[in-house]
Amino acid sequence: MTERLPLSLTTCTSCGKPIPPGSKSTKFPCPSCGEIQIKRCEKCRKFGRNYKCPKCSFTGP
Amino acid sequence: MSDDEIKNSQPETEPQEAQESKVVETEPEPQELQKPELEPEPEAQPEPQPQEPEAPPVREAPVADGDELLLPRDTLLSAGIHIGTRMKTRDMEPFIYRVRPDGLFVLDVKKTDDRIRVAGKFLSRFEPSKVAVAATRLYAHEPVKKFCEVTGATPLIGRFIPGMLSNPQYPNRVDPEIIVVSDPRADAQAVKEASDVGIPIVALCSTDNEFAGVDFVIPTNNKGRRALAIIFWLLSRQVLRERGELPADQNPKVTIEDFEAKISRDDEEDT
Ligand SMILES: [Zn+2]
Ligand SMILES: [Zn+2]
Repeated sequence: MTERLPLSLTTCTSCGKPIPPGSKSTKFPCPSCGEIQIKRCEKCRKFGRNYKCPKCSFTGP
Repeated sequence: MSDDEIKNSQPETEPQEAQESKVVETEPEPQELQKPELEPEPEAQPEPQPQEPEAPPVREAPVADGDELLLPRDTLLSAGIHIGTRMKTRDMEPFIYRVRPDGLFVLDVKKTDDRIRVAGKFLSRFEPSKVAVAATRLYAHEPVKKFCEVTGATPLIGRFIPGMLSNPQYPNRVDPEIIVVSDPRADAQAVKEASDVGIPIVALCSTDNEFAGVDFVIPTNNKGRRALAIIFWLLSRQVLRERGELPADQNPKVTIEDFEAKISRDDEEDT
């Protein structure tokens, strides 16, 4: 949990908050355009919050 | 049983009395984790409408002229892919077209169609064997088996053995990069484990499902025999087309009928 610096943290596509390493987050290429990596933090995933691809505007889940 | 196909003059009422559940910001522990593996099949309603010989032209969703669906609208509707349940969740609202007079919520077929197309693109980006597909529900077994045969995905059929994704010690552990579940409630164990290990989850969701843990929703009747066959057949076709393994104007050799769960004569409701 502590071996990575906050600098290397990725941010959640839904809430914009940094995703702590080791959490139950996920990432995947945008289902529609495939060009952007969608990242979802554990909370946003758990609560089914929307994410929107900044490139093609696909909105999930 | 075709009152659903007529009198759609009803406005898109979203009855407020319908149960709306939404996970609250506490501990949304996955519900029904300990659901027995044997499904009380099929939950009353969603068995597809008996196919009427010539379904009348129906309007289950507003369709602009020239809007093309992946299969003729009547084929989709007669399989009941739009038929939801008597419950709706707030999560599924954007995919719901209307409520029938008998209280059944109906999905917007156009949105289902759109999502199948996107799902095809999405899944085709992964190495075939790295796509796992879970099917706890009985009627999903055959469609999922066929989908996996056709696309090279890894089937996880029947009861989902705890640890299958998340326990490194488990001998038959699978290690997919993405998982498709045929029903997030019936396949709750798969959803939980995929969430735990950070694998993206694609889920067939009916009007009564919630999005917890789900990364990509395909709105559809996820309980009916015929509906499941069509959905997985279409998904297979889209995946093959997106991979360039099947020309855009051709169908796979396996038919929708091949994808359909075989059931005993007693269960047949034809005629
Ligand atoms: Zn988030
Ligand atoms: Zn995109």
